[in-house]
Amino acid sequence: MALALEHFRRTYGDFTAVDDLSFTVGAGEIVGLIGPNGAGKTTTLRALAGILKATSGHVKVDGYDLAAEPIEAKRRLAFMPDEPHLFEYLTVVEHLRLTARLYHVEEIESRGAALLDELELKGKENALPGELSRGMRQKVVIACGLVRDATTLLFDEPLTGLDPLGIRRMRETILSRGRAGAAILLSSHLLHLVEEICTRVIIMDRGRKIVDGTFAELASRADLAEAGSNLEQIFLRVTGRDAQV
Amino acid sequence: MVSASLYIIRCTAKNRLMVRLRRLREPRYLIGAVVGVAYFYFSFFARFRGQSASAARRRARGAAVNPFAVIAASGPAIAGLGLMIVTALAWLIPFDSGLLEFSTAEVQFLFPAPVPRRSLLIHRLLRSQVGMLFGALIAGLVTPSVSGYARLRLSLGVWLLLCTGKIFFTGVSLARARLADSDANARRVARLPLAAILGALAIVGGALYQRLMASPLTGPRDFFERVAEVSSTGAPRALMWPFVALARPMFATEVGPFAASLAGALIVLVAVTVWVLQSDATFEDAARQVAEAKDQQPKGKSARYRARSVAWTLATSGRPEMAFVWKAAMQTFRVVDVRLLARLVAVLFALSVVAVTVGQRNGLLGAFAMFALSGAGFAVFLAPQAVRIDMRQDLQHLELLKTWPVRAADVVRGELLWPGALITALAWTLIAFATILSGALFARLGTTLRVSIGVAVAVLAPGLAFAQLAIQNGMALLFPAWVTLGSQRARGFDAMGQRIITLAGSWLALLVMALPGAVAGGIVWFALSLFVGSMALIPAAAVCSGLLLVEVLVMTELLGPAYEQLDLLAVERPE
Repeated sequence: MALALEHFRRTYGDFTAVDDLSFTVGAGEIVGLIGPNGAGKTTTLRALAGILKATSGHVKVDGYDLAAEPIEAKRRLAFMPDEPHLFEYLTVVEHLRLTARLYHVEEIESRGAALLDELELKGKENALPGELSRGMRQKVVIACGLVRDATTLLFDEPLTGLDPLGIRRMRETILSRGRAGAAILLSSHLLHLVEEICTRVIIMDRGRKIVDGTFAELASRADLAEAGSNLEQIFLRVTGRDAQV
Repeated sequence: MVSASLYIIRCTAKNRLMVRLRRLREPRYLIGAVVGVAYFYFSFFARFRGQSASAARRRARGAAVNPFAVIAASGPAIAGLGLMIVTALAWLIPFDSGLLEFSTAEVQFLFPAPVPRRSLLIHRLLRSQVGMLFGALIAGLVTPSVSGYARLRLSLGVWLLLCTGKIFFTGVSLARARLADSDANARRVARLPLAAILGALAIVGGALYQRLMASPLTGPRDFFERVAEVSSTGAPRALMWPFVALARPMFATEVGPFAASLAGALIVLVAVTVWVLQSDATFEDAARQVAEAKDQQPKGKSARYRARSVAWTLATSGRPEMAFVWKAAMQTFRVVDVRLLARLVAVLFALSVVAVTVGQRNGLLGAFAMFALSGAGFAVFLAPQAVRIDMRQDLQHLELLKTWPVRAADVVRGELLWPGALITALAWTLIAFATILSGALFARLGTTLRVSIGVAVAVLAPGLAFAQLAIQNGMALLFPAWVTLGSQRARGFDAMGQRIITLAGSWLALLVMALPGAVAGGIVWFALSLFVGSMALIPAAAVCSGLLLVEVLVMTELLGPAYEQLDLLAVERPE
């Protein structure tokens, strides 16, 4: 498995944000991680990216334990957070160069140019983050994640701040990376996007996994059959929000 | 709008106080608060008691009670002249009063609100009162006086001065904007105040020059009295009146004159406020520009970087530390104008040459030497606290840094290299100047000794700079909650206490780190000084510096696990 989370638990003082969470993402799989606000999705993604330490449990990337062999594990990971974190004094192209240096990426000039073209950042190569819109900054973060051959891609709300064309292109980009064999875990509140591009879905609520399966599997479950056929209806049912609608 | 502003101020103050009181439940803040309050008490109140006692003794001896009274007579004139010069400079040098700096929340809530723009200016003015009143209060507290009335008088005077200054500088900023107006008439009108202040300064300067040249000065008191004379007669009296009126409340010693001076200062404040509020259209534009700039600015970023091309491309392979060096260098080059810096060094060099050539007699050389010496001392001992282009600043990017596949010790080391090199370069430049000019200050010391000391200090500088940076970064990693991120500074007694503790801790750690090097260096100096004399200082310094650098290397390895264990949530967010 490209990505494996085993009995992951994370607490903040007395509060347990994520409890006993386990799942795997295989190569070529695009898994949607969804849940209501405060379900623990971002905590999970940050732990998978090596930003937060697990209170207990393990994260393995291509078999490398993130805690024991962080460098090997992180080299295979690309995390695209919802809030673009960029160095305000480095230009777009310099961010790519820095990424190339840290991740040992060859032929950064040609790869970077192609990626900037793909993400519609051509002409912005020498712009500082302060000169870019939020959507463009988000694209720079994504470009830094995609410029290297990461085997596992983690997206946290990848479409935030993007324009309609950007959303379309981003969707195609994620699909093409999945087809190329990358293991992709994507967190989003846009359920139609998850339904459209994901091969499997994990639903979390109050720090726990409550559903994990393909859409066909979910639709065939007796307790969910009557909820409806689309992901939104299933989501509302399993999280107990259907009564509030 | 005024009631809304007062509501915002009241809620902000209340919530800020509650946050600070609530966080005292955490030991790190409680300890900080205790140290901060103790520092405040011993710095001000305990000193006052000492001063009261000594004043009582002076009274008993019949000595002057208030040293401030000596300059009370000529004080308003001197301060008024200073204010006049500052006013003229404000027109010539771009100056930002900060009154147009709206917070993001203010831009989002108040700018779309159906209120006139001048109300926004009044809102900012009201909001800035808290800081100004605190500043005025501190000024009153620290003044070497014994009477509570004198403190109150000074506080009121300082508050009026700060308030008027803040509004006036905003008016100057707005008027400066009109200097670039497309309408020639508007430009001419905008130039009038500048012409008026320069003309007034020329008249006052001329009168003062004549008075000072009339006979040789007998001392500072004579100088003060002549300035007072000039400010109280003829045209200079009228021209200096607004400035003198503003300064007078700080120097009035009796209730009656103080009330009268307060009225004068208030007239100036009202006049300045009316003048600024008249600039409504310009304020509208300026406020909009500020709002747009704020909107474009990434969250939490206050530094202004300019995308300059720098001839240093990061290679795609090599040691990871160098990536951090390159990153920090880009930050420096994009915030500091290197060409300007080069020009500054060239000017300093030229001035030093002039000072060496012609300044020996009139003390100019000594002044330069003292400047270079103080600068070198600052660079070696204080710059590592102030230059924060390292982990202390990068903690705000921790979320990104943590995802990088780089050894923790390499990250720590990489963060130190550029600021260390920068501080060393600055220290070496100033040490070189100080060494060249040292003859003016230490003429009794021989050239060999002075050069040996200069070279030894230069050799020691990198060791000391890197050691302090390692300590500062180590503290940031071990106690991240005590490190303020970015350009914002935490406020309150607890934050002040934390800063005192960290400063004292870093000095203590430096002493401990320097001890082995000092002992080893001392042995080398003792062994070699018999053969090479004062030049033995150089190898001694090299040994000491070398040992410090080895310790820094070991420290970066030891700090690696601290970086790995560092949790994002442990890092304090700015208030």
